Amino acid sequence: MLFNSLHFLLFLPIVVLLYYTLPTKFRWVLIFFASCYFYMAFVPKYILILFAIIILDYSAGILIEKIKGKKFKLLTLILSLICNVGLLAFFKYFNFININLEWLADILGVHFKTQLLEIILPIGLSFHTFQSMSYTIEVYRGNQKAEKHLGYFANYVLFFPQMVAGPIEKYATLGQELKKKVELVYENFSSGFRLILFGLFIKMAIADNVAPIVNQVYENPSSFNSLEIFIAILLFSIQIYADFYGYSTIAIGAAKLMGINLIDNFKTPYLTRSVNEFWKGWHISLTSWFREYLFIPLGGSRVGYARWIINIMIIFLVSGLWHGANWTFVIWGGLHGIVYLTERGFNKLFKFKLNENFSLLNLVLGIKNFLVVSFIWVFFRAESFEKVKMIFQGLIHNTNIPEYKLHYNYSLMFAITLIATDVVLKKNRVDSYLEKKSTFVRWAIYSVLLFGLLAMSGIENLPFIYFQF
Amino acid sequence: MVKKIGIKIVLLVIVVTLLNCIYQFTLLKRDIGQMAPCAYQCLKLPKNVDYVYFGESSNFTTDRNDSTTLSISELIGYYSNKKIIAIDTPAVHAGIYKYWIKQLNNAKPKGIIVTMNLRSFGEDWINSNLETNLNRGVRILKSEPILWNRFLLSLKNFEDEITNAARDSVIQKQWRTKQLHFPYEFKYKTVKQWDNAIAMGLYEPQGQPWDSKRIELTAHLVKNYAFNIDEENPRVKDFDEIARWGLKNNVKVYFNLLAENVQLADSLVGENLVFLMKNNRDFLVKRYVNLGAVVVDNLEKVDHKSFLEKNWPTEHYDYKGRINIAKIISNKLN
Repeated sequence: MLFNSLHFLLFLPIVVLLYYTLPTKFRWVLIFFASCYFYMAFVPKYILILFAIIILDYSAGILIEKIKGKKFKLLTLILSLICNVGLLAFFKYFNFININLEWLADILGVHFKTQLLEIILPIGLSFHTFQSMSYTIEVYRGNQKAEKHLGYFANYVLFFPQMVAGPIEKYATLGQELKKKVELVYENFSSGFRLILFGLFIKMAIADNVAPIVNQVYENPSSFNSLEIFIAILLFSIQIYADFYGYSTIAIGAAKLMGINLIDNFKTPYLTRSVNEFWKGWHISLTSWFREYLFIPLGGSRVGYARWIINIMIIFLVSGLWHGANWTFVIWGGLHGIVYLTERGFNKLFKFKLNENFSLLNLVLGIKNFLVVSFIWVFFRAESFEKVKMIFQGLIHNTNIPEYKLHYNYSLMFAITLIATDVVLKKNRVDSYLEKKSTFVRWAIYSVLLFGLLAMSGIENLPFIYFQF
Repeated sequence: MVKKIGIKIVLLVIVVTLLNCIYQFTLLKRDIGQMAPCAYQCLKLPKNVDYVYFGESSNFTTDRNDSTTLSISELIGYYSNKKIIAIDTPAVHAGIYKYWIKQLNNAKPKGIIVTMNLRSFGEDWINSNLETNLNRGVRILKSEPILWNRFLLSLKNFEDEITNAARDSVIQKQWRTKQLHFPYEFKYKTVKQWDNAIAMGLYEPQGQPWDSKRIELTAHLVKNYAFNIDEENPRVKDFDEIARWGLKNNVKVYFNLLAENVQLADSLVGENLVFLMKNNRDFLVKRYVNLGAVVVDNLEKVDHKSFLEKNWPTEHYDYKGRINIAKIISNKLN
């Protein structure tokens, strides 16, 4: 079920109403069935994959806790991780691995044809496998007690507001949130409403208005002149941010209506001056996951310089591959890694330190960083290297092509609105920002958001980009 | 807390009502122009227009070698010496026309000419999936509050959200179960039975060389024309609305019952199919004359040679066919 559908806008109030009608001890049952229903609106049979993950990691958690002996605990953990990653590999990377094996074999002079799978990737598989794996790792590390109640554990993996595109939560936080006694509190409603309204606005009014421009240019770059391609590259940065930030905000808002707190996934990522700062504000829950479960086990920063460089590159390359089974994603991750390392090296070499106050230098660095990130996004958006080449070639050579006359509609206005909103909100979340305002100002802002949402949203109704991961 | 929430809901309703008015006076026309250009044409109709012609692809020619490229509506204007404005787009039908026509309320044409395509009453077209853009345009014109309509548009709530497979299954079910009525005994009771007989070679064609192309075309003719129109047909309800709109607004309604390739149907499928086509024609003529409309019966007025496509049932005519239809309609206008 999509958040931006009439189906969800009817489903959510019904679930919230039933949630507060039921006694606390039965609420997990409602969340379980509501989440199953939510997920089954996509491809019903894929719920079985989720059940498999739940059973697997629930059992692994209990086994790890019960088994005596470190070696056996580790073995159980490894087995559960292999199963999770194996599931992900099968559905997401099977064709990618096979195509590359074929290509490699071709180079070595061995010719064979592999069978490619024609299956739809289960929606959000990368998200719930990563979330579930974090639980077993935490149990293994002794930071988390194994959950004995299968229903609560199932809800941790299935919780509908965040099951398909995050934020990726730890059991220590979401597990506890799902168990706690929630009273009917007005503040949860007002906060949830504000978040959902704002989330829908940035998804439907901003991302969906920008998307058709980006799609047209990426579909056929040779028809557009350099300026139009340049605008489309920048607009994709806005689209993906509005799309994913919108989704996360709706997810947090939907959970908040039930008194459940989810972690923030974005903090003004485009108001940053370096790739390092960008990743502190972009998809925060995934960055944290990679730091805790990959970077630190690899030795983190407490290793030699060369090893540290390798560790950083591994994180970025794996992060790229996590996003999609295509070399373009790997290169996207790799480029972020290279820019990150270059910036760190530069700062170290020249002992360069930035202050936090507004200055011309910060502004220039902010624009530079936005441009760098935008150009790297080309690898993320283009479906092949051929397309990447066409985009960059078009950017340089298509200066003489007459203007295609793209219908920008509200896209440019809304793109600027998004950046302006970030400047206004700074690091605050929209619900707490609005809370501090007078009733008049608050309702004036609601009115603007409502008008944008109801009267100016894009009519293409595109699914959330991150659903494919 | 209930009081607090109640106040907020009331406030929200007031705000949304105000936003609805703001939308109506600011962006609505722009949206109609973008999403439903034909309806926008209706809104912006010049005052001196005599007749408005609502048509689909039958109105214009798709043949570059045609002697004249004038459309039926232009030819009607020429022969009747009336100012005619055509509002047309491919694959459109009465289910869409009725929303466009309601936008005419500001203008006062003497009459409207609306194409009545026999195939549009059949299951295949009723359940067609080629109408996404048309449905999008219609959503903004529906009678619910306009801001709600606009929001539903952005939620993609303008088409039946069923898959092509589900659509196909609806059509197949209708063909399998809906009984065909003849005033005499006919051995195939449903379209499916008839179609199966054609596919299995049991069906006796009218002395034609019987090859796979002909078998395919015969089956298409049966699927497109073998049905009985009745009051429950959704397209009939659409035409009813148009006829009643004409009566209510004192605008003469002319239904242009489009010419079909009856000769081809007769030669390939035979008299049973032609009977159904004529029977349906009679039903429509009788019904809409009773509802105060003029039904211009062109069903058999175009010769087989004038149909541009001979391997598929369409209503695309060469210049002779278009001129013929235009002359008949202009005679009715004068």
